[in-house]
Parts: sequence; C-alpha cells; structure tokens
Amino acid sequence: MKRLLILLLVAGLALSASAVWGQTLVYGTTDKISDIDPANAYDFHTWEIFYNTMDGLVGYEPGGSTLVPALATSWSSNAAGDEFTFKLRKGVKFSDGTPFDASVVKWTIDRNATIEGDPSWLITDFVKSVEVVDPYTVKFILKNPVAFFPKLVANPPYYPLSPNTFPEGTKGVYVKDPSELKGGVLAGLGTYKMTSFKRDEEIVLENNPNYWGKEPAYKKVVIRYFADATTMRLALEKGEVDLVYKSLNPSDINDLSKNPKFTVFKNQGPFIRYLAFETSESVFKDKMLRQAITALLNRPEITQKVYLGQAIPLYSMVPNGMQYQKTTFKAAFGDGNVAAAEKILKSLGYTKDKPFTFDLWYSPSHYGDTEANLADVVKAQIEKTPLVKVTIKSAEWATYKQQWHDKQMAVFFLGWYPDYVDADNYTAAFAGTSGSIGNGIYFSDPQWDALFTKEQTSTKETERKAIFEKVQDMWVDAVPSAPIFQGYLILVSRKGVTGVKIGPPMIFLYNQLKPVK
Amino acid sequence: MRHLFSYIITRVLLAIPMVFIMLTLVFVVLRVMPGDPVSAMLGGHAPEKVIQQKKQELGLNKSIGEQYLDYIGKIAHLDLGESMIFKQKVSQPILEKLPATLELTFFGLLVSLAIGIPLGALAARRRRSARDYGVRFYANVAYCIPVFWMGLLLQLVCGVFLGWFPIAGRTSPRVEVSAFSRTGFYILDTLRTGNIAAFGDVMWHLVLPALTLGIVLSGIFVRLTRANMLDVLKSDYVLAARARGIPERRVVYNHGLRNALIPIVTMLGLQFSLLLAGAILTESTFSWPGMGRLLLERIYLRDYPVIQGVIIVYTLFVSAVSLLVDLLYAAIDPRVKY
Repeated sequence: MKRLLILLLVAGLALSASAVWGQTLVYGTTDKISDIDPANAYDFHTWEIFYNTMDGLVGYEPGGSTLVPALATSWSSNAAGDEFTFKLRKGVKFSDGTPFDASVVKWTIDRNATIEGDPSWLITDFVKSVEVVDPYTVKFILKNPVAFFPKLVANPPYYPLSPNTFPEGTKGVYVKDPSELKGGVLAGLGTYKMTSFKRDEEIVLENNPNYWGKEPAYKKVVIRYFADATTMRLALEKGEVDLVYKSLNPSDINDLSKNPKFTVFKNQGPFIRYLAFETSESVFKDKMLRQAITALLNRPEITQKVYLGQAIPLYSMVPNGMQYQKTTFKAAFGDGNVAAAEKILKSLGYTKDKPFTFDLWYSPSHYGDTEANLADVVKAQIEKTPLVKVTIKSAEWATYKQQWHDKQMAVFFLGWYPDYVDADNYTAAFAGTSGSIGNGIYFSDPQWDALFTKEQTSTKETERKAIFEKVQDMWVDAVPSAPIFQGYLILVSRKGVTGVKIGPPMIFLYNQLKPVK
Repeated sequence: MRHLFSYIITRVLLAIPMVFIMLTLVFVVLRVMPGDPVSAMLGGHAPEKVIQQKKQELGLNKSIGEQYLDYIGKIAHLDLGESMIFKQKVSQPILEKLPATLELTFFGLLVSLAIGIPLGALAARRRRSARDYGVRFYANVAYCIPVFWMGLLLQLVCGVFLGWFPIAGRTSPRVEVSAFSRTGFYILDTLRTGNIAAFGDVMWHLVLPALTLGIVLSGIFVRLTRANMLDVLKSDYVLAARARGIPERRVVYNHGLRNALIPIVTMLGLQFSLLLAGAILTESTFSWPGMGRLLLERIYLRDYPVIQGVIIVYTLFVSAVSLLVDLLYAAIDPRVKY
C-alpha cells in the first residue's frame, strides 16, 4: 500500500513538472456543442468553434463590430444593393490541403441552402444564387437589396467548407460528429484544426499550419465540458483550467472578481432576455393583457436580485449601445407600474375575486442555473397586484421547444443571441411573420412585415433609422414580446492569460489570447 | 455441479422478462413525455416540411405500437439500434462511456467496503461505547448525505482548499489520452502501456469521485456489519470459542466477522443498483464522462434508443451482479447448495 502511494505521489509530481503551460490553453465551459456542420448548427458555442476552426469571407475586427476582410480581400455591391461581389484571397488552403477558391464558396452556399437546416434562412431568405465570376471572384445575387448583407456573410452558414471533407447537400441530412466527415476529421480554413472530439467531454484544437493568417500564441486549445457551473468554478480555482466562459453563476463571478489570482473580463453583450407572448391563440391574444403584464415587470429589481448586477435592464428589443435603439418601454411602462397594469386589468373586468390567471413558463437549465429564481422574482412582481395570479411551470429544453412550436405556452422566457449585429435581427425575428413563428410568438401583421421588408432593402441610414424607431414605438402598443435585460459577456481567466477580446458580435477568437511570459 | 448450471440458466432466463419489462416501461414513458428528438435536434426555425421529413426518417410518425414492435424486433436480434440524434450505433457511446462508470463504481464499492466493514465490526465489538455511538452517528450521517453535496464538499475541501486532488474529469487536459487508451479502462490501459505518469494522473482523478460514492454507501455497510456482528457474537460457537480461551480479537474478527459477512455479500448485490444510481449523480458533480452523464445528456436530447440502451445495460449489470453474488454466497456459505 505504502509503495503504491509513493508511486502515485512520484507520478503526480512527474506529471505536474512536465506540464508546459505556455503552449496549451485549457478552457472550461458548461455549454454544449451541437452539430459539426454550419448547415444546421445554430447555437452560440458551436459557432464559436467554427469561428476558430473555419473562416468567413469577411470577419469582425477582434473585440469590435467593424467588418474586416478575411478570406475576401475586398467586396462591393451594385447600385441597387442586390448584388455583392467578393474578391477572394489567393493561395489559401483548407487544413486538409484542398485549395480554396470561388467554386468552393458556391458549393458551400448551395449545399447549406439545400440542407434546409435550422439557420438556412440566413441564406435562403436573402440569396437567390451564387455565381463564380472567375476562380477568385464570387458574386452573390440577392432576392432583394439587403443593406447588411456583408454582416450576414460573416456568419458560419456562409463559411466555406471543404468539398473533400463535407458531404454533398441533401435536404435534412447534415453532419453531427466529425466521425461522419470524409476522413473523419474536421478540415477548415481557421487558425486551428480539430484533432480530438469527445462530445460533452473534451475537444482539442491545434494550430492549423495551412492558416493564411498569423500563427496563434497558444498552439493547442483544450476545451473541457463541465456538467455544472459550480464544478467549473472550482476547477478554475484549482488551476485545472486557464479560463472559463459561459456560464458561471452570478455569485461565483462576484466572488472571483474579488480574488487577485483571476481576471474578470466583462463587456456589454448583445445577448438579450425577454418574455415571449403567444399572440395568436393563447389568452395573450389580447394585447391589453400583454401590456398589463409588461407594465408589472421591474427590470432593475430583476438584474439586481437574480443576476447580482451582472445584467443591464433593457427597455427595447434592440439592445443598449446598438444603432437605432429607442428605449420606448421605459417611457411607456417604466418599472413595476402596478397602477397602469391595474387600470388595464380593471377595464377588462378582472377583480380581486376574479383575477387574471395564467401559467408562466421557464426552462430550468438552458439559460443557466438562475432561471428558477428569475421566474420566482417575475411572479412576485406580477402578483404585486391582486388582480393577477401566476402559476410557475417549467419544462426541460427539448420539451420547451416542442411546446412553443405547438403553442402550448402562453407566456415564457426566452433569450436571443444575434445572428448578425443589426437592429433587424432584434425586431423582424420576433415580430415579422416568419421570424416570430420560430420563437413561438406567432405574431403576424402585414403593416409590420412591410416595414421590415422596407428596412431590409433600404440602403439609406436615415430611412432605416426612421423605420426602426417607428417599429419600437409600435412595439409598446402591440407588445409581441417584452424585453427584460441584456447580459454581460463574462469570461474569467487566471492572471497568466491575456488578450481576451470579445466584441458585440460575441466572437471569441482563441488566436488573440496570449500567455504572460 | 449440474444443479448449479441449471440454477445459472434459470437465473439468466429470468433476467429476460426483467429486461423486457424495464424496456417496455422506459419505451412508453419516453414516448408519452412531451418533446421529441426532432424538436430537440432541429430547433425552432426549421421549416415544417423538414420536421415532418425527419420524423418520417426516424419512424416517429408511426404509432407507438408499431414503433415498439420495430424496436423489440431489433432487440431480439441483439441490436440496440441507432441514435436518433447522432449517426452512430447505440452501442458506440455506451462502449465509450461504460469503462469510466465501471472504474468509478468498482472503486466506489471498494471504498464503501473498506470503510463500512471495519467500522461496523469495531462498533459491534465496542457496543454501547463512545466509539460505537460515534460510528453509528457517522453511518447515519453518511447514509443521509446527498451524493452531490458530499461531492461538492470534497471538491471544496480536498480539491480547492487543500489542493490535494483534481476535481473534474478522468485525466488532466495535458495528458494525451490517445497515447495509452485502448479499452477505455484507463487504469488498465496506463498500466499495460507502462505509462506511470498517466497512471498516477488517472488514479489521482479517481480519488474524490470514488470517495464520494464510497462514503455515501459506507453508511449502509456500517449498519449491516454492526447488526450482523452483534447477532453472530451472541451465537453459541462464539461463546464456545471464548470458553476455549481464544483471544477476543481472534474471536471477533476470525469467527465473528467472517460469519457476519455472509448476509453482507447478499446486500452487496442489492446495493449495486444504488451504486449505479449514485454514480449518475457523482458523474455529474465531477464531470466524469460515464454512462450517467450520457444518460442525462441524451434525456435532454430525447435520444430514445440511447436512453433505452443505457437502461438495458444497467438492468443487465444489476442482474449479472445479483447472480454473481448468489453464486458467491454458495461459495462462502457451505450450507447453501444449488
């Protein structure tokens, strides 16, 4: 027994002595990876893996929201704004050695559109066809003029894929695991290539020698998946991971920010949370009821009580700091406006003895461990008037999605990570007829749809501004959804890691990170 | 010997209806639960026609009866089917994750026996002394503590404050698992390849999860050992041994404990299912990549075939261990014959 203990001790010491920290970054997260295919993956973390293993024609400057050339060295549009031409970088190769050119771009777009996966609308709603002008020039012909089209191209569904790695496009057939790829390995154009994939356990990324840009400081990135935030925090404190991102509990963030061994990166993110109302068949078909419930929300209380100051109250579906935002909910309802709510409810015939009753739904883990607290606090806020009685109900995410698809939840909490950083993605996605179906709101109004079409096709800043301001004014009357708060992007690292840059598009590039020498 | 063989055959045959009942229950419960693999897979934005096409591909548009018959047909051919979410045979993730769970449960069981039996014997020997009360108090506390809470406590104290042990995963991120992993049993693999540094790392990672599981289960073994020992120590042959002047220590541990262990071995089989249930929570707490985490993840994704496959494997294990224990019982108790 003694011998075994000595052996273990020696082995442990040998291992710790051999750990070379400089070249490998260990990153912890509670997120999950979905499909290794930009044709169907539509979640924050999987896109993050794509940002680092693939590349777009255009990208964002690290930590900012300005578009910069990436695989395309330049781009231009025609006068009508319905054709965009991209000049491609020459001599670029995928990590599997496949040359990158305009035919690859066309193949990718056609493939992803054919598959009709979850994010395919980002292509099919806008792109009519793709033309190969010459080997290094590609033209996108759009269905209508789209002012923000380069921002769309900066998204993973537009990222060029290697035809020697990804299978041809077939409707509804996409790649889940790298083992399904030709060659069994994910080949991309990004800074890193994926060398090991163990779902829900660990992903290993290593420097891609074929990458056209600068070599990263960390040659290897190990992403470890944690079952819960508490264990992840402890692993950071123990030194088993170098940084953690998405999602720590608010109390953990507050604790770690007081600890000099760690650096807390905190930035206002474009992630928003809101209450979604099913507006077509549920009890909330009546917009006055939606207005009454919205008036009762007390956003500062929510951000303080539930998120301990790690979130910002939000008074428009367009987030703070974004172009065209108008905080109309603050002027129209304020916070915890019981008098306004009671006035509406009384006019609808509700009394203390005959209160308005409804179920408030949340999903317990999809948005972190604080969701039950959020539901409790909102219930208490709503029940400040005796004219309303709320029953809290919860459903795990797969059920939750099914229920909103089937219109089984009248009001429920949802969150939104943008597909592209533009006010259109924060408005049409909830109040446009097709977008609102995807979010379980089922709001449809031809006047609204016409406004969205107009702002999407307009290339004039003043016109777009006027439309978005009008839409935000209309929002407080129709209330298809009620904004609650905007999240911070919070990443905690040990002091030895520098170079964290996460901007409004929420793109986290590992090649920006550097160890302290 | 012939009787033993027929006993084994009977027990194996009895396991079949047990698996069948479990399978049917799980199958029905999964199908009546709201949510399905397609909505979990495709998200909220997929067009309705794609959703319907996917349901058709996965056979989810058929009636539950038809789906059940299809599934039972496959099981009859020892085919667990294919995952509805990932393009892989159900056996693939199970074979990947099973070694992690078996290593954890094995060492968890060892810890629980290593704590439970000596403490139970000590309490019986020193009945109504301060040690007895102390051990009984420990047993009650250990039995009542939720596994995840015990896990967190050990992570915090032994992992973070004292810094003695790692708190998550099976290996350190800097250990190249591919360099030694062949069977998935990391302890065996590292020993087989002579990778001592990795072996140390694997054992180091196993300490806290195995302790967590072991401590929680040890409460039962303390109480069982104590109760059985007290009965045995009152028996005539123990009295006779004492009368012959055999030292008390030998009487207690050689005569008493050996006989008291017989019912404990029976309980071992019964506790195995509890051990597996505890392992699910332990795996979650320690981000241990085993069957428990696989089960939880796939429940979230409504991956029906994998959930059913994991349950079948659990059921088969419980049956196998129960059979093994019965056979062991015959080996250690000469009164038992098959």
